[in-house]
Amino acid sequence: MILVWGPADDPPVEHVLEALHDRGAPAVHIDDDALPALDFEVGFSPRPAGRLRSAGTTIELEKLTGLYLRPGEDRPDSRRPESVKAAAMLMAVAASAPATVVNRPFAGRSNGSKPLHLQQIANAGLKVPETLVTTDPAAALDFLREHGRLVYKSISAVRSIVATLDSDDQDRLAGVATGPVQLQRWIAGTDVRVHVVKERWWATAIESEADDYRYAARDGLAIAMRPIEIPPELGHRLVRLTAAMGLLVSGIDLRRTKGDEWFCFEVNPSPGFTYYEEATGQPIAEAIADLLCGTDPGG
Amino acid sequence: MIVVVGSRHDPVAAALVREWPDSALCRAEDITAPGWLCRNDHGPLRWVVEGQAVQDDEVTGIFVRRCAFYPEEFLSTHREDRVFLAAEAQAFLGFVLSRTRATVANPPRDGALGGEGLGFEHWMPAAVREGLPIRPFRLAGGRRRLARPERPPLAVEVVGDEAFGDAPAGLKDAATRLARALGLVWAAFLFDGRRRLMALTVAAEPGPQARRALGNLLARRREA
Repeated sequence: MILVWGPADDPPVEHVLEALHDRGAPAVHIDDDALPALDFEVGFSPRPAGRLRSAGTTIELEKLTGLYLRPGEDRPDSRRPESVKAAAMLMAVAASAPATVVNRPFAGRSNGSKPLHLQQIANAGLKVPETLVTTDPAAALDFLREHGRLVYKSISAVRSIVATLDSDDQDRLAGVATGPVQLQRWIAGTDVRVHVVKERWWATAIESEADDYRYAARDGLAIAMRPIEIPPELGHRLVRLTAAMGLLVSGIDLRRTKGDEWFCFEVNPSPGFTYYEEATGQPIAEAIADLLCGTDPGG
Repeated sequence: MIVVVGSRHDPVAAALVREWPDSALCRAEDITAPGWLCRNDHGPLRWVVEGQAVQDDEVTGIFVRRCAFYPEEFLSTHREDRVFLAAEAQAFLGFVLSRTRATVANPPRDGALGGEGLGFEHWMPAAVREGLPIRPFRLAGGRRRLARPERPPLAVEVVGDEAFGDAPAGLKDAATRLARALGLVWAAFLFDGRRRLMALTVAAEPGPQARRALGNLLARRREA
């Protein structure tokens, strides 16, 4: 039995469910909106045992072989006590079930602190940009002078639009005195998103004039995506990085410089891969379904 | 110096600062004060504690008394920016605690503060590996009532290699081993009447003996 938890209108959830159904896999979907009505009785020791009942379907946890989770945020019912309780139970099951879980809730959690996360990426042997978090305007100015051009972005997982600073922006650095700001050396090059599914990977190059390609359309700028090959050695390193973070699936943000250096910015533990899949035709949902069914080539 | 990371509204944090010589409270207000410096590659780490800049090599030990920052703590920030700032402060502190050379009594896990990253899925398997019996726990939906423990629990607190509490020596040894396996300098354990581990936390209030031992341990400079 494979359990898929997430909003029915979330594209990755939709694609994974479709791929599972195409395989005839015994998959059950729990929508976030169904959480308040979820009935359950589960014991942990620490393996979970017991059953869940959702919309007339009973799930015996001992028969659970796979779990794909992408719970939504800020849904209308998500703060109801019944929802919170059911979500906590599902998280606990996902954390401890002896099954293929994409991904364990605590895996890749350092992503919630970007500079800490970057440190873990560097420890795995990948190049990362020099980063300073400070509330000291003089230190920020020194850092700008050291690197010439910087990006600033949120420290936490709260999404922010990445923006750049250069020598013309020195006066703006006084603002760092009111709260910690993350400054990072600007790396010129081409953005590459790599999706790792256990031991396989798919790379997409993204060409855009925007500082942050995710918001290119908002600024009226074009964006072009195409599948590319990355050096196998890099691919294997990204597979090891993903595994080291306890993940089976990841979306990794890289930048390739003109000098053919690869810098890594982030490992996303719950990637919205369909944006790239739809632009390139890469079979990422299929690979996740294979992994959940135990039929992936690396399995 | 010992740094207690907590809120100025937290009486336990305030008591620890009063009790431990050469200690100070790092508050939410300090996070938004000028002076912090933390790089991912090299260079000095600098804190702001009670409004003063403090080099990391002046800090010997850290005790974390919070698992989150709250928007309401940032009164000097625009109301609409407080939620964002609270998230940023939390992520920043996780980074700082990963870079400090001081002993952190209850270190964050993957940036999660104050035991948020120390769920049962972490400590239960470790307890089993260390040979500790564990009490299974149940979660149930709806209005089902779960059974209460039949006998009062036994509490143990571990500080480094010492253990305190009213539990037998065997349980104290086991708790000490488990704390070491989990990389914790301080932790509180709860065993049920059948001596099965039922809870482990680094977010509780340390008891009197543990406070004294912690004060001594955190005041010592960590060996390089």
